[in-house]
Amino acid sequence: MTQEKFYYDNKIVKLFAYATLFWGIVGMLVGLLAAAQIAFPSLNFGLSFTTFGRVRPVHTNAIIFAFTGNAIFTGAYYSMQRLLKARMFSDFLSKLNFWGWQTIILLAAITLLAGFTTSKEYAELEWPIDILIAVVWVAFGWNMIGTLIKRRVQHIYVAIWFFLASFVAVAVLHIGNSIEIPVSFFKSYTVYAGVQDAVVQWWYGHNAVAFFLTTPFLGIMYYFLPKAANRPVYSYRLSIVHFWSLIFIYMWAGPHHLLYQALPDWAQTLGVVFSIMLLAPSWGGMMNGLLTLRGAWDRVRDSAILKFFVVGVTAYGMSTFEGPMLSLKTVNALSHFTDWTIAHVHIGGMGWNGFLTFGMLYWLIPRLFNTKLHSEKSANMHFWIGTFGMLLYSVPLYWAAFTQTLMWKEFTDTGFLAYPDFLDTVTQIMPMYVTRTLGGLFYFGGAVMMIFNIVKTVKSGHIINNEEAHAAPREKVAKARLAGETPHRWVERKAVHFTVWILIAIIIGGLVEIIPMITVKSNIPTIEAVKPYTPLELQGRDIYVREGCYTCHSQVVRPFRSETERYGEYSKQGEFVYDHPYQWGSKRTGPDLARAGYRGGTMFRPAIWHYEHFLNPQKTFEKSIMPAYPWFFDNTIDNSTLKRKIEVMITLGVPYDGAEKDYNFVNKNGDVDYNKVEKAYKTQAEGIAKELQDMGKDVTWDKEIIAMIAYMHKLGKDISLAKIAEKKANEPKVEQTNSGEINLEAGATIFANDCAACHGQKGEGGMGSNLGDNFTLHGASNDDIKNVILNGAGIMPPFKKFTESEIANLTAYTTSLIGTNPENGKEPEGEEIK
Amino acid sequence: MENKNIDPKEVYKEYNEKFDKKLMIDHDYDGIKELDNPPPPWLMWLFYFTVIWAVWYLAWFHWFDMGRLQEADYQHEIEEAAQKYKVTAMDTETINILTAEEDLVRGAEIYKKSCVACHGAEGQGGIGPNLKDNEWIYGKDISKVFGVVKNGTEKGMTSFKSLGDEDILKVSSFLLKKL
Repeated sequence: MTQEKFYYDNKIVKLFAYATLFWGIVGMLVGLLAAAQIAFPSLNFGLSFTTFGRVRPVHTNAIIFAFTGNAIFTGAYYSMQRLLKARMFSDFLSKLNFWGWQTIILLAAITLLAGFTTSKEYAELEWPIDILIAVVWVAFGWNMIGTLIKRRVQHIYVAIWFFLASFVAVAVLHIGNSIEIPVSFFKSYTVYAGVQDAVVQWWYGHNAVAFFLTTPFLGIMYYFLPKAANRPVYSYRLSIVHFWSLIFIYMWAGPHHLLYQALPDWAQTLGVVFSIMLLAPSWGGMMNGLLTLRGAWDRVRDSAILKFFVVGVTAYGMSTFEGPMLSLKTVNALSHFTDWTIAHVHIGGMGWNGFLTFGMLYWLIPRLFNTKLHSEKSANMHFWIGTFGMLLYSVPLYWAAFTQTLMWKEFTDTGFLAYPDFLDTVTQIMPMYVTRTLGGLFYFGGAVMMIFNIVKTVKSGHIINNEEAHAAPREKVAKARLAGETPHRWVERKAVHFTVWILIAIIIGGLVEIIPMITVKSNIPTIEAVKPYTPLELQGRDIYVREGCYTCHSQVVRPFRSETERYGEYSKQGEFVYDHPYQWGSKRTGPDLARAGYRGGTMFRPAIWHYEHFLNPQKTFEKSIMPAYPWFFDNTIDNSTLKRKIEVMITLGVPYDGAEKDYNFVNKNGDVDYNKVEKAYKTQAEGIAKELQDMGKDVTWDKEIIAMIAYMHKLGKDISLAKIAEKKANEPKVEQTNSGEINLEAGATIFANDCAACHGQKGEGGMGSNLGDNFTLHGASNDDIKNVILNGAGIMPPFKKFTESEIANLTAYTTSLIGTNPENGKEPEGEEIK
Repeated sequence: MENKNIDPKEVYKEYNEKFDKKLMIDHDYDGIKELDNPPPPWLMWLFYFTVIWAVWYLAWFHWFDMGRLQEADYQHEIEEAAQKYKVTAMDTETINILTAEEDLVRGAEIYKKSCVACHGAEGQGGIGPNLKDNEWIYGKDISKVFGVVKNGTEKGMTSFKSLGDEDILKVSSFLLKKL
């Protein structure tokens, strides 16, 4: 058979490897900062772009898309060329993939810190970058499929199955979750509302974990682990079984992020059962990895690379055991919203993704540069420091999570919350936050050692950018199945077929869960009382989104007594119909805010409280770890896009078009009338500003803080007002004296209760003056008397508690006492009454 | 010291020959070979078990209606708590101000934690009104103060019902007696 000569593109692999290292360091550093900010809030520095709410998304995006993203491309571009015996399909697409991806990362870092965000976790980037991601991702897929088509081998190997599935699924997920209507170049609203948005977001979010952090890394494992161990893959059949079951089942499990939240029961159940069924398919990957090492365990002792792989794969097994367990409702009731989730993802992130990447690079770099690793000893050291760092990071967080969740749920003997003060449950776990930061520091230290080691290795070697290779061209085989060929073996030589089957497998779960949520009305029962946001509240909400408040505050009360006692009534589906995007959050570093505007509720705080608290949380609560938001007080609200926002909301079905009469912002032609919008904005804002000015605050209606307070006071407001109205309607009507009709007897009763102590039973005086003589200190007209009662005079305190009619009655009774000259009267004071 | 001469590679080779199924001859991807081992049976059984469990779970909750779903579960928890704690709300009309020193000390503790932020360390006011002077917006008697602390007010006072009635009475008594 004639051998064809071709060249592997090593340069692109090198570039991706460098990018992996660079962004890894950046992402870990930002993570360290975020962790330290929780332990030491002063590290928020009082600047908008260094505050936790903006830093945290930079960390998650940098680690997921920049560090592991580039690691995926490194692994895929190196292994695919060799597994398919072909250079990548197009050098242009390879370069587009590389430079496009780095541009996206750079833009992501800048825009996220600048506050341009959709607030959808791991999909925070705004619409122009979303489009760029889609383009670059398709370039990657196109390049991959092109290479598959011109491949020289007959069958595609399991690593490629996983890369293919990753490409197809991430494309579907990214596009599905990013359907949004632009308001401006940097702002958009998702088309999904409330519960729908939550379901779509976690269909995406969960499967970003699946198809960005899991399947591509299984691809990497299937190539680099057998290579490094020099052992055959343990079981081809296991590969088939766990591949298909994994990609099919994963797509159904998203709702487990929303257990006990405002989600229909059927969707929660699907989330639970599919998560449980995911256990064995996930472990299939772990077992095939670990069993492949059979016969090579003696080498694990010396080889840092194999150590990284073993611990990485084991961490994968631990995470994928923990995941299904966390999806059991009983466990989730304890774990959700706590640091348990954070610990869980860091076992996966640091252990599985991190260690697999480190192992891969230690193996790959010396081969790319035709040399030996500079220091095996240093790599081993990196392994031990990294492992120690990972444990020091996660164990305290598990401890913190158990502690905090138990404190949240503890009741006293008499049935009240043992820790009604949320802050107590935070203060308790502060030492754990400090320790985990230290753990992160160790892990980071290991990565820095690796950088040195790799720089030295690179310097000692020499890369061949275009490495010569030889392989025979692919033989033509009949399209139909051959005799004795299994159906799977047949599909393995038909790449396009294979891709279509992947698409079918991954699309079903999402469709079954999302379509009914959008089309079947009974999934989101309407609540009459729930009203849209006013323009001011909408602007406040967008600030809440911009600052990433959702990274620390949830907005969904779960139906547990421990939560309804602490926060107020639990959240219902119908409350969120105007929420684009939803803001339920997934972590409670601070308390839930779903009831922050619930009048008469435990979470309600007056405007002045919010004013002081946003300005300096530590002044309100000394031990609070919330960052300050001083720029809310300087920034004038940007209303330049407000008209467009209202227009987009109307497109999305929010009744600003007259369907809801107090929220009519359109003119006769049905176009948005900005005068109406502005008037509504200003009227409401001035009301809040006046309240603050009355308390001595120097603030004007057009500052961001006003919008923020309005938004806080909207959360749960509508249902609380409905409750209050209902309560008032049900109260038995108290017989009231007609206004203007004076009831002396009622006045006498009030006098006896509230005045007699000082003025005597009959008005004869005592500590207070004699009211029965003909003299008066402060005047005897009705107005004079009223004034004294309301505002006090001399040593007399004011009595503001009376109603109008009570004051009228009391005034009349007091007047009637004049001239009665009771016994034992106090000597006259003041002027004689004419 | 015989062991020293055994090459571990030899041991593994023997082991592999004994336990591994054959190498799949036509499976060679850039030098990576595959073995024809069956998936570990225990793993397959784990998978079948989880599938059966899933069907059972679905049936239990959604076909046979045997389990309590979200809302029913909450109602159940509330009823259970009512049984367990027999929490009867204090009758605001009949409560009396507490005077025992220990109650007032406890009241002071609660004040320090929950009230200081708005009403000041000395009760001098700030975000919330002054509690030191003799002016009581909602009335000076214990039942009124108790009601305000427990249920909040529409104007802005937060409800502190999660403190529990006993502590609310203690802090209310403290407010009236000590400030």
